[in-house]
Amino acid sequence: MKILVIEDDKTVGEYVRRGLDEAGYHVDLVGDGDEGLRRASGKGSSYDMMVLDLRLPKLSGIDVLRTLRDRGVGLPVLVLTAQDSVDFKVQALRMGADDYVTKPFAFEELLARVEALGRRPKEIAPPTLKVAGLQLDTGSREVTRDGKRIELTPKEYAVLEYLMRHQGRVMSRTLITEYAWDYHFDPGTNIVDVVITRLRKKIDHAREPKLIHTVRGVGYVVRA
Amino acid sequence: MESIRGRLTVWYATALILSIAVFAVVLYFARRSATYQDLDRRIQSEADLTAGILAESYHTRGVLVEKDTAGRPVLTPEVAAVLEVVPDFLLVTSRDGTLLFGSPDARSLGFAQFEQINALANRGVTGTRAAPAAFRLAPNGPTLHYVIRPVPEAGGQIGTILAGADTRSAELQIEQLVTTIVIAFLVGIVPAVLVGRWIAGRALEPVDQMITEIREITDGRSLHRRLPVSMEKDELGRLAATLNQMWTRLERSFAALRRFTADASHELKTPLTVVRAGVERAITRPGLPHETLAPLEETLQEVNRMTELLDSLLTLARADEGRADLHREPVDIREIIEEAGETGELLAEHAGVGIDIRLPGDPVVLAVDRSRVRQLALNLIENAVKYTPRGGQVSVELGSSDGRVVFTVADTGIGIAPGDLPHVFDRFWRADSARTRTSERAGTGLGLAICKWIAEAHGGTIEVQSRPGRGTTFTVGLPR
Repeated sequence: MKILVIEDDKTVGEYVRRGLDEAGYHVDLVGDGDEGLRRASGKGSSYDMMVLDLRLPKLSGIDVLRTLRDRGVGLPVLVLTAQDSVDFKVQALRMGADDYVTKPFAFEELLARVEALGRRPKEIAPPTLKVAGLQLDTGSREVTRDGKRIELTPKEYAVLEYLMRHQGRVMSRTLITEYAWDYHFDPGTNIVDVVITRLRKKIDHAREPKLIHTVRGVGYVVRA
Repeated sequence: MESIRGRLTVWYATALILSIAVFAVVLYFARRSATYQDLDRRIQSEADLTAGILAESYHTRGVLVEKDTAGRPVLTPEVAAVLEVVPDFLLVTSRDGTLLFGSPDARSLGFAQFEQINALANRGVTGTRAAPAAFRLAPNGPTLHYVIRPVPEAGGQIGTILAGADTRSAELQIEQLVTTIVIAFLVGIVPAVLVGRWIAGRALEPVDQMITEIREITDGRSLHRRLPVSMEKDELGRLAATLNQMWTRLERSFAALRRFTADASHELKTPLTVVRAGVERAITRPGLPHETLAPLEETLQEVNRMTELLDSLLTLARADEGRADLHREPVDIREIIEEAGETGELLAEHAGVGIDIRLPGDPVVLAVDRSRVRQLALNLIENAVKYTPRGGQVSVELGSSDGRVVFTVADTGIGIAPGDLPHVFDRFWRADSARTRTSERAGTGLGLAICKWIAEAHGGTIEVQSRPGRGTTFTVGLPR
């Protein structure tokens, strides 16, 4: 899957490029709107998606979007914007954007939206995540351990899903909080500890091996 | 009086009434004095005329007085016949005070009153000409103005003449004048006040128009509009020009604010994105040692705090501009409170505080901005837990009253001092640092200001009640 990223800020662009690259996408990065438009709408253009920053030198993101749609190019476009005002987002969506991510964004969010926009048929079936005897069905939101069903509250589910998606990797409390709570709300990282305590009771209590591990001062990791 | 128009009319009417009253009083006294002067001149000339007749008769006949049948001295019948035609009161007296003649008016008086006039006439015997004087006949008689005139020209046969007139005729004239003034006043004042009101209304009509237009410009937030300025440089024209200048400046500063918020969004958020990107990449790299991970986690946390602060500032800046930046859609408020409630339970568990959440059985569907209302609920619940000591209780309730959806968050916490209550929704206001648990990190100080904005942007209200040491209750009302 080929993605064209149009972003003038080199650091952000490079970050997006590498991140998407690691996630298995083929990414081209360009620094201005003119060049981006030429590549996206030129003959033989083979991109499957565009990630577009709205503030660009020369041709603005909105102009790129408008021209693209005027030329009848139906490529899915994910917009990056620093403006979080609703009317601005609405304007972008009206101009033909398919979705947006507000800066500064968590890469996780960008990736989730890219995946959603470019979802290929075989990926429609949501995956089941497994760690040892622990299973999490992202479709039905059912969690079982050793075949026994475990009831989780929405936040407990969100935290567990996040940790299981990144099993074996230490996830910081802040990243977990961001994922499970609203962008506008910072409940403090202590709340993650409370959720983890509850999850441990339900998942690891009187069972072996323990699956949820603490990394002091940083966060948590799920591993067998 | 509410309006300038009413006040102008009252002033105008008062001034009119006062000037008419002054005019009437002056007219009254002037007319009165003139009437009495006329009266006095009349009796004076009557006296002179009588004296002339007597002198004339004396010169032609030599005899003016004769004895009547009773032997009393009287004027000769010829002279008396001439004097009969003189109106009013006329008495002719001899030098020794004997009455020689009385006019028909005088004779028609009662005896007692006639004697009083006679006494007056006698008193003047020794004197010479006297200025007119007034005398009131007793009892209840008319008031007379009279003159007494000696008649030396009549060869000593005649002593004095008294000529007098009843003042009633003069008084009658003045009474008529007063009646006329009163009627004219009453008939004239009503249309005068109405006309005054009309003139005031006409003069103020452009002001009313201006008020309507100003309201449209301000209410509709169409700051680009201007008042029409007439060519006449009158007061209203200058007012319109001044207001237009003010709007130009307002419009400019709003535009500057808009540009600033847009620039700030971009200029501050892009570097934050860069920092975030770097930290996130580093922190998610497998196999990093703990001493590298911990500071990265702290940095990430700070970046998030800064982002949140920046967002709050920009939101409030836009709110100042009057833009309700909401993405409304029908939502069951219960879902939002339920979700926020779960977070509240987690926070309460950590803080050792009890929490109970009461939701109605039926859906409460409102068109709201879901993420903003969630932010509002979370902020209030988080605050309640934060300011409630271990062992306390937080109650969250969603209900309705007076056709409004009411969301309350009550705690049994430390409360807010009465002096601080009016400021809790101010930006960057923070309770005394001693109030927060030392382990908690202070918030941005914008949380409640944002809550207020969210409630008001939805057309709702937010209120706080608190008693120090007893607890605090926040009540949010949203219109259905």
